[in-house]
Amino acid sequence: MIASAQMKPEDVKTFTLKNGMKFLVVEDFSIPNANMYLFYKAGSRNEHQGITGLSHFFEHMMFNGAKKYGPKAFDQTMEFNGGANNAYTTQNVTVYTNWFPASALEVMFDLESDRISSLSIDSAMVESERGVVLSERSTGLENSPWRVVIENIYATSFQEHPYHWSVMGYEDDMKNWKQSDLEKYFKTYYAPNNCVVVISGAVKMTDVKRLAEKYLEPIPAQPEPARVHITEPEQKGERRIMLQKDIAAPYIGIGFRTPETKHEDFYALTLLSDILTSGNSSRMNMELVQNKPLATMVQSSLGESFDPNLFLLYAVSADATKLNELEEGMYAVIRNIAENGVTETELQKVKNRKLMEFYGQIETINGKSDNLGTYELFFGDYKKMFNAPAAFNQVTVDDIKRVAGKYFKKSNRTVAIMQKNVD
Amino acid sequence: MKSTHIIKTLMLAGFLFSALSISAQYKLPAYQKFKLKNGLTVYLMEQHEVPVINVSAIFPAGAIYDGKQSGLASLTATALMHGTTDMPKKALDEMIDFMAAGINTSASKESAGLSAKFAAKDSEKAMQIISRIIMQPAFDTAEFNKEKKRILIGLEQRKESPRTMSNSFYEKLIFGAHPYGNVVSGTVQTVEPLTTMHIRNFYNNHYYPEGSAIAIVGNFKSADMKKMVTRMLGSWKSTGKKPANPANVSFAPVNGNNVLLVNKDDARETTFYIGGTGISRNNPDQVAIEVVNTYFGGRFTSLLNDELRVNSGLTYGARSSFQSYKNGGTFYISTFTANKTTEPAIQKTLDLIQRLHEKGMDEQALASAKNYVKGQFPPRYETAGQLAQLLTSMFWYQYDESYINQFEKNVDGLTVEKARQIIARYFPKDKLQFVLIGKASEIKEFAAKLGKVTETEIKKDIQ
Repeated sequence: MIASAQMKPEDVKTFTLKNGMKFLVVEDFSIPNANMYLFYKAGSRNEHQGITGLSHFFEHMMFNGAKKYGPKAFDQTMEFNGGANNAYTTQNVTVYTNWFPASALEVMFDLESDRISSLSIDSAMVESERGVVLSERSTGLENSPWRVVIENIYATSFQEHPYHWSVMGYEDDMKNWKQSDLEKYFKTYYAPNNCVVVISGAVKMTDVKRLAEKYLEPIPAQPEPARVHITEPEQKGERRIMLQKDIAAPYIGIGFRTPETKHEDFYALTLLSDILTSGNSSRMNMELVQNKPLATMVQSSLGESFDPNLFLLYAVSADATKLNELEEGMYAVIRNIAENGVTETELQKVKNRKLMEFYGQIETINGKSDNLGTYELFFGDYKKMFNAPAAFNQVTVDDIKRVAGKYFKKSNRTVAIMQKNVD
Repeated sequence: MKSTHIIKTLMLAGFLFSALSISAQYKLPAYQKFKLKNGLTVYLMEQHEVPVINVSAIFPAGAIYDGKQSGLASLTATALMHGTTDMPKKALDEMIDFMAAGINTSASKESAGLSAKFAAKDSEKAMQIISRIIMQPAFDTAEFNKEKKRILIGLEQRKESPRTMSNSFYEKLIFGAHPYGNVVSGTVQTVEPLTTMHIRNFYNNHYYPEGSAIAIVGNFKSADMKKMVTRMLGSWKSTGKKPANPANVSFAPVNGNNVLLVNKDDARETTFYIGGTGISRNNPDQVAIEVVNTYFGGRFTSLLNDELRVNSGLTYGARSSFQSYKNGGTFYISTFTANKTTEPAIQKTLDLIQRLHEKGMDEQALASAKNYVKGQFPPRYETAGQLAQLLTSMFWYQYDESYINQFEKNVDGLTVEKARQIIARYFPKDKLQFVLIGKASEIKEFAAKLGKVTETEIKKDIQ
C-alpha cells in the first residue's frame, strides 16, 4: 500500500459528456481496486399512487438483462471479472455501486452502457423479481419494528408530498406494476443527463474519459423529468399514532418537519442532532439513558433530502409504565436548548466529531465515491464535501439555540408509539 | 430461465471468455511486532492517508470462559467502559466524546476485545484512556446495575428478530454443551443473577498481558509509538499465566438429521439455517474452501442465490458460510421465505447440496470464483481499522502475513479435481442439522419429514 497524503479538492477531476452525463474521478492507488458509483435522480418522490415502490423495483430490474448482456449476464460477467455490486434506492435517489479490480474498468463501462442504453424488460423476470422485493419487504418487517414506526410517521406527517409512502411501496401496488409502467419509468429517469458517475481507485483519468466517451457518450439525452411540484402544506398541530405489536419494550418515534439539505439551517440541525444523541455524554443519552434510566437507547437522524423532510428522534422505553415521562423528557431536553442554549465546549465536541467523520469518509475509495456523489447531488457541488468541516465550524451556539426553537415545536411534530397493548 | 439461453448470451458477451486473469497483487504493508516485558504482544503499522489512529486489542476472555454463567464475558467486556479507578464513567464518556474518539469493548465467542479510533493529535490522551480501561477498570456497581437492566430488556428484544437469534439457536444445536454452544450475549435467566463481584473475578482471571495483544495502526512514527505504548502498558502486571482453552475438547459429532423448530406466533416468514459441522480457523484448506463456498453460496450468482432468489423469487437472498473458531466451526446455509413457500425453498436447498456433490465445479465456474475471491480481497484490508483487526486476529489464531501475501497463490492452486475433494470432505451432505424459526403450526408437518424434531419457542431462553 502506498501511503498517500490526505485528499484535496483538486484531486477530484471532472468532465461532462455531450449527453449531459457528469463524471467525478479520483485517482487513488492505495489498493489495486476501483469502484464506479452511478447516482440517478430518481427515488420514491418521483412516484405517484398506483406505482409506489416502482423506483426500488426498478433498481432490481436493472440487473435483469439488456441487449448485449441478457438475463443474469450482468452479474455473471461482473463476478467473473472479479467485481461485485449492489444498489440502493431512497426517497430521492437510486444509486448503483460497482466494486472491482482496477483491471476490469472497461468491463464495467460495457456493462453499464448496455443496461442504460438498452435495458430489456423481460416479463418472466418481472414476475420472479416481484417475489424478491415482496420477500425484501417481508423480512424487513419481520426483523425490525422500526420500519413500521417510521413508515407511519411519514404517512402521517406528509399528507400530499410523495414522502407519504415508503420507498418499498404499498403491497398492493407491488403486486400491480405493469410492464408499461416500467418502460415509461426507464425512459424518463434512466437518462445520461439524469445521472452523476463517480469513480475512485487505481485508475487513470485519461482512461476513464476515453472509456466514457466510447461507451456512454453515444447514449442520447432525454428531456428533463417533470419537476416534483408538490409542496407539503405547513403542519398545524401535533399528530399522534398508536401501533400495536407484541414487543418487549415500547418504541417511540418522533418526526419534526425540517427543511431540505440545501437550506442554510441544515448544518446547525445536523450538529444539534449530535448534541442530542451522539455519544454517552450527549444530552438525551445522558439524561434519559445514563442518568434516569427511562430509555435503553435514543437516536436521532436527519438524512439528505431534495425536499423538506423530517428530523427523526427514536427511543426504546426502559420502563413501559414511564413511557409518558420518557416522551416528555425528550421534549424537555430540546426545550432546554431552545431556552438556554448549549455551551461552547458542547458545540466544539460535535464539531470535532464532524471532522473525524470527514476523515472516515475519505479513508476508503468507497467512502470517497459515496460522499462526493452525495455532496454533488444534495448540496449541489462535490466541493462542499471538502468545505464541510469549515461549514460546521461556522455554526455558533446561537444558531443551535435558534434552530432548536424554530423547528421543534409541538405543532410541527408527528409522534408514533408502538407497544404491546393499545386501547 | 433456460441454461442454453444463458450460455448463448454469455458467448456473445465479449469479456466473459477472454483469457483474463485477475491479479490484484495485494501485499500486507510493513509492520513491527514485539513483546513488552510483561508479555503483552504489540503490533505497530504506519498508515498516513488520514490523521487518525486505530487500535485493536484482544484478550483471552471470550464466552468460552463463561461456564454456566452465559453472558459473563460479554458483560465484563461491556463493564470495562464503566469508569476507571481514577475517572468515573461520566468523566470518561465526556473525555472520549470531546476527542470524538470511538472506544468500544465487547466479547465474542473466544476472545474479548477493545477497538478504538481517535485523531492522531490526541494520541497521548487517547492511549492513556485506553490503557486505564484495560488495566484499571472500576466496575462501578450503580453503572453495572443500570447496564444490566438495559441488557435484560435487550435480551427480550432480540427474541423479536429471527435474524438476530438464528445463529445462537444453530450453534446450540451443533455444539450442544461444548463451550462453543454457549450464547455470547447470555440469556435472561443467566444474566439476571450476575453482579459486579462476578465481573471483577472474571476480569482478574482472564485479562492479563501474557495472553493479550494490542495492534496500533495509523498516522504515527513507530519509534514514538513504541515508547508510548511501553510507557503506558508496560506497568500492566504479568501473572505468569498461560491461557487455558476450555474449548480445546472435542464436541459430540452430529447424529442423524435434527430439526430445531422455533415457534414464532406472529411470523410472516420462515427463517432457516441448514448445515452441519465446519472447519477450524487454521484448516490448511481454508482458502480453497472459501473459493468453493463462493461458488455455492458466497456471492450473488452463487448456486443458492441464483436458484432461490433469481430463478424462483422465493427469497430476497440465500447464502452459505463457514463460521470458524480455533477448534472447530459450523457450516450453514441461511435464508428466509414466506410461510407458505417454506417447503419448496427448503427442498430446493437440499437439491442444491446434492447438485454440488454430484457435479462439483467446472473450469469456468472455478475461474469465475477464483477471480471473484481475488478481486474482492484487497478492500478487506483497506483501512487502518481493518488492518488493526487483522493483526490481532493473526495473534489469536497464530498465523502471519503469508496468509495475505500467499492468498492469490493459494486461490490459483485450486483445480477442478481438488475442488471435488474439498466438496466431498468439507460440505455436509447428510446428517443435516436444521433450525427453522417460523409459525410452527404451519410448518410442523413438513419439518417432521426433514429429521427428528425438537420444538421450542422464540420467546424462551436458549438452554
